[in-house]
Amino acid sequence: MEMKGFTIWFTGLSGSGKTTLARVVEEILRERGMQVEVLDGDVVRTNLSKGLGFSKEDRDTNIKRIGFVCHLLSRNGVVAIASAISPYRDVRDSNRRMIGRFVEVYVKCPLDVLVKRDVKGMYAKALAGEIKGFTGVDDPYEEPLNPEVLVETDKESEEACVQKIIRTLELMGYIPGADASGETSEEEEEKIRQRLRDLGYI
Amino acid sequence: MAAFWKRRSSDPKVCVFGVDGMPHALLRRLMDQGVMPRARAIFGGGLRRMRVTLPEVSSVSWSSFMTGSNPGTHGIYGFTDFDKGSYRIRFPSFASLRAPTIWDRLGRRGKRSIVLNQPSTYPAREIPGTLVSGFVAVDLKKAVWPPDLARKLEEMNYQIDLDTQKAGKHSDYLFRELQSTLRGREKVLGYLWEREKWDLFEIVVTGTDRLQHFQFDAIEDPSHPNHVHCLDYYEKVDALLGRVFDRFAAETGDDSGSGFFALSDHGFTRIRQEFYVNAWLVEEGLLSFRTGEPKSFEDAEPSSKAFGLDPTRIYLHRKDRFPNGCVEMNEVPELCARIAEKILLLRFTGEPVFRGAFRAEEIYSGPETVSAPDLVLLANDGFDVKGWMRTGPVFGRSHFTGMHNWDDAFFWNGGPMPENFDITAIASAIESRLAGKEE
Ligand SMILES: Nc1ncnc2c1ncn2[C@@H]1O[C@H](COP(=O)(O)OP(=O)(O)O)[C@@H](O)[C@H]1O
Ligand SMILES: [Mg+2]
Repeated sequence: MEMKGFTIWFTGLSGSGKTTLARVVEEILRERGMQVEVLDGDVVRTNLSKGLGFSKEDRDTNIKRIGFVCHLLSRNGVVAIASAISPYRDVRDSNRRMIGRFVEVYVKCPLDVLVKRDVKGMYAKALAGEIKGFTGVDDPYEEPLNPEVLVETDKESEEACVQKIIRTLELMGYIPGADASGETSEEEEEKIRQRLRDLGYI
Repeated sequence: MAAFWKRRSSDPKVCVFGVDGMPHALLRRLMDQGVMPRARAIFGGGLRRMRVTLPEVSSVSWSSFMTGSNPGTHGIYGFTDFDKGSYRIRFPSFASLRAPTIWDRLGRRGKRSIVLNQPSTYPAREIPGTLVSGFVAVDLKKAVWPPDLARKLEEMNYQIDLDTQKAGKHSDYLFRELQSTLRGREKVLGYLWEREKWDLFEIVVTGTDRLQHFQFDAIEDPSHPNHVHCLDYYEKVDALLGRVFDRFAAETGDDSGSGFFALSDHGFTRIRQEFYVNAWLVEEGLLSFRTGEPKSFEDAEPSSKAFGLDPTRIYLHRKDRFPNGCVEMNEVPELCARIAEKILLLRFTGEPVFRGAFRAEEIYSGPETVSAPDLVLLANDGFDVKGWMRTGPVFGRSHFTGMHNWDDAFFWNGGPMPENFDITAIASAIESRLAGKEE
């Protein structure tokens, strides 16, 4: 199977599991022989988007930059994995249009679970009013309307989420299956050739 | 009051009845002649003529139907394709499909599909529901999802297809097998209908296509000795359509048919002449072979400019596509224009053979357009374009009597559909019916 680049875009609230899932997916795709590059929102803000803040305008600029890099990578045969809150639908959709081969993964988790998790201690601060404009607390998050994959990390295990993502990529033909199924043997090809001849196609 | 009781009790359901290669014109005629009375009663005046995608062959058309997209998006351009970067011919399989199917998309919304005898889904893979692959399925064990269904189908003596080789040679075998495969499908339909809860049920009858390839003359000519056998088969298909429609209506209370979709994947018409596109390319000096009896394009001279693949695809011998390619990207527009101009002027006993020659960008859109043929031809009815590997005469006849056409597929649904649509629009219409939305 011929391999082409594409983009996996993880979106969801902070702490929902984007980075965690992206890392595992990255590993599996590498094992299957693909070239993979991860663009994590938190990391990008220290280089590509250094100096940008959290206003709507700055957030949009950040997401557009990540999208543009994904676009460059994808069209050169690389699997680009972006994980960023990316709260605004229209910017995600414009990235989708630019990139074309685009798989949106909505990593969903309710706020009360996130507050309990509070991996980075941010929710406590946001709720105490120490951080302003925190997505999900006092800044909007627009859910994807029709994502290719929806994972609910409060209900599904990490493994199940990964499985769902990988399976979707296989089903959509972006990556080859783990087993070689989906292929036809030479003997079968000969039979197919004969039938196509019988019906006058070849 | 009656309407109250007929109100839908639960979520909407959809049933799809596919009839491979059934032309709108022939269906109309058989309905009017009383050969297909159930079709006449159900479709009535609402029967529509439908365009499909190019090239007008089943593998492409059904892929367009099941993904709701054009070949530039789903990536299937024919029964054959070039292996990337080589002259070797491969046979695209279900795994080559580059877009999600309607069943996958419905699955994401928790909806389940049962799909019986769907062409171009071999080898079968997981769908949210049940799948029995149709043409070109070879091995029943690899033609079903879930895999344990194979045993059950074997027990029921389910036959995926008839023997196409015998069917072309012996018409008595063809008629007998057409009947028995159709009965077999109905038996399995009954079993799958009850086996699990579903939202979408789909069955495709493929015998029509086989019959029409070999017996189109008999279908059209009442004095032909096989004519009655042909009508007999259409009567059986009609009766099956009626039973499926009734069953669906009885279970859903939907007797307007707003959830019932019937379609074919291309039309059919009688062959006047076969046109051998590779022989024509040879004659035009655009293709030459190193041997008198070429087996594949590996036998082509490196200086060749173009190759024809089934049925109407022309691939330029591009440097970026083939190991010995000689056509530069910047020569492509000029060369395509030259071929198009010549072929559109071509006449057979005074009649134009082709009515169109399209660049990929004109008819396809999406990320797979890059692997599209450079030029796709559209012939006039009666001229059957064959991508056979051959030189010599450009026109000829063989034992085939029927050919596909592009703009005479049929479509029927009891609900609203857009004024102007083609086969790629059906998937979204089905999805919106299942979402309970009007268009
Ligand atoms: N099903 C799950 N998928 C991913 N992460 C999960 C899941 N369940 C719990 N977690 C935990 O949630 C946290 C998610 O953190 P992280 O991946 O950094 O989130 P994000 O990148 O979205 O801000 C991790 O501590 C992870 O172990
Ligand atoms: Mg993160």
